Amino acid sequence: MPAARHGDVDLTDPEAQTRSRALNQFLAGVELKAFKIAQAALRHEDDALDAVQDAMLQLARAYADRPAQEWKPLFYRILENRIRDMQRRRTVRGRVIAWLPFRGDEDDEEPDPIAQAPSPEPQPPRRLELEQAVGALEKALGELPRRQQQAFLLRTLEGLDVAQTAAAMGCSQGSVKTHYFRALQRLRAQLGEFYV
Amino acid sequence: MSAVNEPLTQFERNARVVLEQSLSRIDGRTRSRLNQARQAALEAAGARRPAWWRSLTLMPTVGAAAAALLVAVVLWHRQPAGEPPVLEAQHAEDMDLLADSEALELLDGWDGPFYEWATAQTDNVQSDG
Repeated sequence: MPAARHGDVDLTDPEAQTRSRALNQFLAGVELKAFKIAQAALRHEDDALDAVQDAMLQLARAYADRPAQEWKPLFYRILENRIRDMQRRRTVRGRVIAWLPFRGDEDDEEPDPIAQAPSPEPQPPRRLELEQAVGALEKALGELPRRQQQAFLLRTLEGLDVAQTAAAMGCSQGSVKTHYFRALQRLRAQLGEFYV
Repeated sequence: MSAVNEPLTQFERNARVVLEQSLSRIDGRTRSRLNQARQAALEAAGARRPAWWRSLTLMPTVGAAAAALLVAVVLWHRQPAGEPPVLEAQHAEDMDLLADSEALELLDGWDGPFYEWATAQTDNVQSDG
């Protein structure tokens, strides 16, 4: 009689079940932050989703057997590589398109009027303040150089330490400190000693 | 500034609050797609076989390579050093020669100059005619 399986996880193998649960928990914990980091770098929602999906798949295929504490820096390293690949491809595509005599804007779609409509519910002042702060911070982050942006988000949003951030960024701990320090300086200069 | 592993400054704490707030603004469609991506990744992880299974699947290849190596080593050692290899075809030719007694007699009575003279005579008769 064949063993009971779910997905491709052998339900009769407790070790496989535990690992699958741990991986699910890990990915669920990082997916939103990873999406935010990818979105800040790529400035395109679908590209960011693709990057996160690829990173999840690669981690699961290549590193699921590794100890769970290694997953986070590995995952962000994979994500970073994926983002860099997409940025390079986009640069090349941009150069090619620039040579074409006619080019339509792929993203030039009619905005969805329902999605664009303001919410009828009045927003409480605190919430409104936060919304404004989110907008300001996202804009300022978008203007940071890539490595500074990455160091800041991995540290502040994901909470990685220096060693983990260095592993994720593929650089030395000294470089992480420098990028992070410069990011903080620029954000402070732009946003002031801010809010919330 | 706070060094990267030191406690966060007020600015950094505020930034973290704001960034976490931005996560809550991620829409349902994106969350759903991320969830699908996660399920696909879990399937991919499940599709991987454990290490012992992967090593087991390599057994036939490793076995065949080991057998080929063993045969090569045995043949190498059976061949006396310095003696040129004898071809199978040569063996067969020798056997045919030994089995055919008439061929051996013909070989013993070989008279090359006579056959050359007879051929020359035939050529002369044809050219005269």
